[in-house]
Amino acid sequence: MVSDFFYPNMGGVESHIYQLSQCLIEKGHKVVIVTHAYGRRKGVRHLTNGLKVYYLPLQVMYNQSTATTCFHSLPLMRCVFVRERITVVHAHSSFSAMGHDALFHAKTMGLNTVFTDHSLFGFADVSSVLTNKLLTVSLCDTNHTVCVSYTSKENTVLRAALNPEIVSVIPNAVDPTDFTPDPSQRLDDRITIVVISRLVYRKGIDLLGGLIPELCLKHPDLHFLIGGEGPKRLVLEEVREKYQLHDRVRLLGALEHKDVRGVLVQGHIFLNTSLTEAFCMAILEGASCGLQVVSTRVGGIPEVLPEELITMCEPNVRALCAGLETVIARQRSGSVPSPASIHARVQNLYTWRNVAERTEKVYDRVAGEEVLPLDRRLRRLRAHCGPVAGSIFAFVAVLDFLFLLLLQWWVPDWVMDVAVDATGPHGLWRQVPSSKVGAHSKSAVK
Amino acid sequence: MVLKIFFPQCCNRADSGLLVGRWISSQDSAVVLAVIHYPFIPGHVKQYIQQMQAKSGVELSVLGSWSLPKDGQEGMESFLRDLSTIFPQERWLQINREVGKMGFTCQVLQRDQNGRVVQRETKKKNEKVDEGAGEAGGDEEEQEEEKVIFVHYEQRKVMLSQLHPIENGVPDPKTAPPSELRQMFQTVANSQPLFFLDRYDDGPLKSTHWQTEGREASIIVELLKQALIPLCMLIGWLLSVWTWVCNIRIFSLYPLRFLSSKLSTCIQLSYRTEHMRLLSSPKPAAGHMQFMRKANIVVSFLVDVALGMLLIWWLYRDNHITMLANMLVPAADHVAKELDELLQWLMGAPAGLKMNRALDQVLGRFFLYHIHLWISYIHLMSPFIEGILWYGGLSACLGLTFALSLLSDMVALLTFHIYCFYVYGARLYCLKIYGLSSLWRLFRGKKWNVLRQRVDSCSYDLDQLFIGTLLFTVLLFLLPTTALYYLVFTLLRLVVVLFQGVLHLSVDFINSFPLFAMGLRITKPYRLAEGVKFRVLCEEPGTALHLLMEINPLKCSAVVQTYRTLTYSCYPKDSWAALVKKLFVGELIYPWRHKTTKTD
Amino acid sequence: MMEDESFTDINGKSISLDCQSHSSLCSEFIVSVPKVSIGKVMVYTCCVWLLAYAVFFFTENTAVLSSAIFITLVGMMLHIHFVKVDHESLLVIGSLGIQVSSSYASGRETTTFIEMSKIKDIVINEAIYMHQIIYYLCVLLKEPSDPDAVSSVVPLFQSSKPRLNCLVKVYKSCQEIISKC
Repeated sequence: MVSDFFYPNMGGVESHIYQLSQCLIEKGHKVVIVTHAYGRRKGVRHLTNGLKVYYLPLQVMYNQSTATTCFHSLPLMRCVFVRERITVVHAHSSFSAMGHDALFHAKTMGLNTVFTDHSLFGFADVSSVLTNKLLTVSLCDTNHTVCVSYTSKENTVLRAALNPEIVSVIPNAVDPTDFTPDPSQRLDDRITIVVISRLVYRKGIDLLGGLIPELCLKHPDLHFLIGGEGPKRLVLEEVREKYQLHDRVRLLGALEHKDVRGVLVQGHIFLNTSLTEAFCMAILEGASCGLQVVSTRVGGIPEVLPEELITMCEPNVRALCAGLETVIARQRSGSVPSPASIHARVQNLYTWRNVAERTEKVYDRVAGEEVLPLDRRLRRLRAHCGPVAGSIFAFVAVLDFLFLLLLQWWVPDWVMDVAVDATGPHGLWRQVPSSKVGAHSKSAVK
Repeated sequence: MVLKIFFPQCCNRADSGLLVGRWISSQDSAVVLAVIHYPFIPGHVKQYIQQMQAKSGVELSVLGSWSLPKDGQEGMESFLRDLSTIFPQERWLQINREVGKMGFTCQVLQRDQNGRVVQRETKKKNEKVDEGAGEAGGDEEEQEEEKVIFVHYEQRKVMLSQLHPIENGVPDPKTAPPSELRQMFQTVANSQPLFFLDRYDDGPLKSTHWQTEGREASIIVELLKQALIPLCMLIGWLLSVWTWVCNIRIFSLYPLRFLSSKLSTCIQLSYRTEHMRLLSSPKPAAGHMQFMRKANIVVSFLVDVALGMLLIWWLYRDNHITMLANMLVPAADHVAKELDELLQWLMGAPAGLKMNRALDQVLGRFFLYHIHLWISYIHLMSPFIEGILWYGGLSACLGLTFALSLLSDMVALLTFHIYCFYVYGARLYCLKIYGLSSLWRLFRGKKWNVLRQRVDSCSYDLDQLFIGTLLFTVLLFLLPTTALYYLVFTLLRLVVVLFQGVLHLSVDFINSFPLFAMGLRITKPYRLAEGVKFRVLCEEPGTALHLLMEINPLKCSAVVQTYRTLTYSCYPKDSWAALVKKLFVGELIYPWRHKTTKTD
Repeated sequence: MMEDESFTDINGKSISLDCQSHSSLCSEFIVSVPKVSIGKVMVYTCCVWLLAYAVFFFTENTAVLSSAIFITLVGMMLHIHFVKVDHESLLVIGSLGIQVSSSYASGRETTTFIEMSKIKDIVINEAIYMHQIIYYLCVLLKEPSDPDAVSSVVPLFQSSKPRLNCLVKVYKSCQEIISKC
C-alpha cells in the first residue's frame, strides 16, 4: 500500500487504507504501508496487529503531498520493495504524488500494480487537464484500477482513458460497531445539526456559511455542531460573530477519529455540503449513528445510501435550506424512523470484510498477470498517451530503468537484509509476542 | 545475585587485616576503603569506626577479612572465621591472596537470624593479573551460587574526581536512588577523614590506603589560603566604596541611566563588579560548581588583565597612539567623501534605474546635509582625539575587555551618522510597507481585525475604495526609490553592526570561557569525570571477573558547556530568518546587547 | 572464540566479528572494519595532486603545489583521527553495565559506559539511513522518573553497520547475559 495520506493525517483515504490493511492482515496477507514522514514521525513504525508503516523522509510540497521528480524516491522505494519481498503494489488516491511514483517504480522493477482512486475530478481547468494527463500515463501501466463508486469509475475511465474492463468498483465502508446510536445523548429541547468535515473549499463550507444564519433566524431552537479544521474556519467564525450565534454554533476544531462518534450522537441531523465527492464516508457514519442525513447531490453520493435514509438537495444555499426545513419539520412531527432502526439498516450495507474480500480478488487476478518488459511498455506508453507526452514519459521510464540499474550495481539486492515478517503467512507477530523487532516505536532516522 | 566488590589498587599488596568499607545494599555491592592491619584490639577498631562514621557521614563497617599470608603464618582459617563473630555483619567477606600466586579467594559467609554463621558454597578462586606478573594458578570451581566481580579502582583519582552531570542539593526521594557508580564515588569522596586522620604509626591501629605512603599537600597552597583572607577583605572594602559611588542619586537620573545602559563599557563595568562581589565574599565556596565558578572568574580576570597590559605595552611603546590619532581624521574624511559620492550616484540614475526624481533629490539633499554636519563635528573634535585615545588606552589596565568595550562605544559614536541614515531610511521604508500592506487588504475587501489578531472581510464604500486605490498606486510607484536608499544604508549599518558584534563576541568569549576548568581538564583529566570505563584484567575464560575501573574524562566541549560563566549575551537570540524578516519589513536592528539582534 | 563465519556490512564490505567471552557474566564483541586500502589513498592523493598541478599549470604559482601537499597530509591525518574507525567494541558485563567503545585508526578511543540501572533493554531496530533501510542494534535507556518509558536510544556499531545476521548473533549473546542477572 503506497499513499501520501496516512495517519496521523486524518481523512477518508487514511482510514480506508488502515481498515483495509487490518482486514487483509486478518486474512493472512502481509501488508506494508509506505507513506511520507509527518513532522517528527519518520522511520519505521508498527501499528496494531503488526501492520508495518514506513514513513519515508521525502519533501512535502503542497497539501501533504510530496514533490515528484520521478527519481529521488526510487532508492528508498526499491529498498522497501526488495526487503519486504513485495508482490503487488497498491497505490491510493490520485492526489498522492508518492502513489504515482510508486506505480512507476514498481513497473520498472517488474512488479504488478493496483491503483485506487478516491476522488472525482473535473475536465475543464488547466490543473485538471495536467493531472488527468499524469493519471493517464501512470494508469496506463497499472494492471488494475479500483474506484469507490460508479460515478467515480465513470470519471476515472474518462479521465485516464482506461479500458473499463480493468476498472472495478469497491465501495468504502464504515465499522458499524464504532458508530452506534445513542439517543440519550441528544438534548430534547433543541434540534442539533452536525457537520463533520475538513473545513476546505471542496467540502462546501461557503454553502454552510450561507445557510447557517438563514436557518437560525427561522428556527430559534436550532443548534449547529461543527467538527473539523481548515482554512475556511474563518468563514464560519465571521458568520458566527456577525449574527451573534456564539451559543448556537459550536466549532469543535480538529477531531480525532475516536471522538467522532461522541459528536455524532449528540445531533439529530447530519449535514454534508460537499461540492465534489467520490464516496462520502461521513454520511455513512452519520447514518450509522442514527441521524437524519441531508446532503448535496454530487458525485457518488446518491449511490451510497438508499433513498429513504437520505435527503438530497442541489448544491446551493436555497435548496439546502429547503431540504433541511423538510427534515426539521419531519423531526418535529416525530415521523422519522428511530435511530436504532436506521443503524440496523446501515449496519450491513458496507463492511470492511466485504471490501477486503473484493480487494483480495483483485489482487489474485493481478498477481497472475505477466509484467510487460521494457520495450513493450515503452511502445504502449507511446501508443496510449499520445506522441508528445508518450515520448516524454517513455524517456523518463528509460531513465528510471537506467537509474535502477545503477542502484542495483551500487547496492546489490543480496546486500539488503530481508525484513523480518511481522504479518502474513510467516508472520512472527502472533506466534512470538515479543519478537526481536519489537514494537519499539522509537526508530531514529540518521 | 552477583556481588560486586570495589577494591582499591593500593591495598593489593597490603598486609593481612580487616577490610573497612561500606555496603551499598540496594545494589549488592561493597566498597572497600582501607585495610586495618593486625594486631588490633577489636574494641579500638569499633571505636575508631564509630568515630569515622560520625566525621564523614558514611555508613562505615567492617566488611570482612583480608589475608596475604607471609611465610610461617599458616592455619589462620579458624581465626578468620572467629573474627566474623566479633564484628557481626549480615555478610562477611573473606578475601584471601596466596603467596606466590596472584589469585584472590573470596568466601562469603552469610549470617542467618539465629546468629549462626552459615557458609555458603561459594568458594571462588579468582585470578589476578598483577603488574609484571601474569602467572596463573588456582583451581576453577564453576558451579557457584553467588558470583563475585572484583572491580579494582585507583583510590586517589576516584576520591578527587567529580562525576558529571553534577547533582547538587538533597536527592529527591520520589525519583530513583542515585546510581551505583554515583554512590560509590560519593562513598569514596566522603570518607576523606578516614584517609586524612590517620596517625601513621602512632595510633593504636595501622591501616593501608592511598595516603599511607604520605599525605599529599602543598605548602604554597596553604600559604596562599592564609594570604587570601586579608586580600578578600580589601577587595570587599573597595567594592563597598565603589557601589556607594555608583548609587549616588545623580547617576540614577533618566538620561544618565539610559546612556549607561547603552554603553558597553558601563555594562562591562557592572559585570566585573558583580564578579568581584562574588569573589570577595568571605564564605568558602559551597559545592563543586560554585568553587569552579569562582576559580574560572579569577583565572579569566587575571588573563584579561594580562592581555590588557600587553596591549598597553604595545600602544605606548612607539607612540602608536599618536599614529592612530593622526590616521583617524583623514580616514573619517575619506569615508565622508565616499558617502558623498555614493549619494550623488543615488541621486542620479543608480545602476540604470529610473527613480522618482523629486523624492530622490529630497532624500539625497537631506542625507548630504547630514554628512556635512558630521564632518564638521569630527573636525571640531580633532584636536582632542589624541588625548581621548591616550586616556582611553589606560583603561586597558583594567583588562582587555574594557579596552574592547571602549572601542565598541567609540565606533558607535563615530558612526552615529550612519545610524541616523539607517533609521530615517528604515522608518520611511517601514511606513511604506505598512501602508502598502493595509491598502492591499483594502483592495481585496479585507481588513485587519486588531482585537482578534486576524484578517476579516469587510465591505468598503466606493469613495473609500477609490482613495485607497489611489494611495496604493502612489505608494507603490514611490517604493523603489525609498527601497534603494534603505538598502544602501542598511548595508552600511550592517557593516558597523557586524564589527561591533565581533567586538562584543570577543569580549563575551573572554568573560565566559572557563579557563580554569579547561586547565584542570588538560593537566588532571581525572578530576572531571564523565563516567568510568572498564578493562578486563582476567583474560582466561572460566575464571571470575577482574575489572579495572578507569576514569573517563569529560569531553572538552562538555567542559566548556558546563562551566561557562553566564554573561549577558546568553539570552536566546533571534535566528537568521527572523533577522532577514526584520530587515525586509524595515524594523530597526540594534547591536545593543539587551536587544540581542546582534549578527553573530 | 574466534568466528569463522563471514559477515558483511550494509554496503557489502566484509567485516569481522570477534566474540570474547571472559566469563559467564562478561563478554566482549569487537567488530573490525577493514583497514584503509593503499589503492584508495593513492587515488585520492593522485586526484588532489593532479588538480593542483592543473591549477599550477594555469597560474604558475608554486604555492598551489605546496598547499596541495599540505592539504593531503592534513586531510589524511584528520581522516584517520576523526573519521576512520578501526574497530568498535561492545563490552557487556552482567549486573554492572554495558560499555561501548570505538577506536579510530590513529589510536584515539572514545568510550561510554552505561550503567545497568539505566538500561531498559537491548533491541534490534529498523531505521532509514541515507537511501537505505537498515537494521541496527541499540540500547534503550530508561526514563528516570518512569521506569517503563524509553527516554533515549543509543545506537551501537554506528560506523561499521553490520548486517542482520551479525546483529542477531550479538543480540542473542547480550540477551543471555542480561537475562541472567
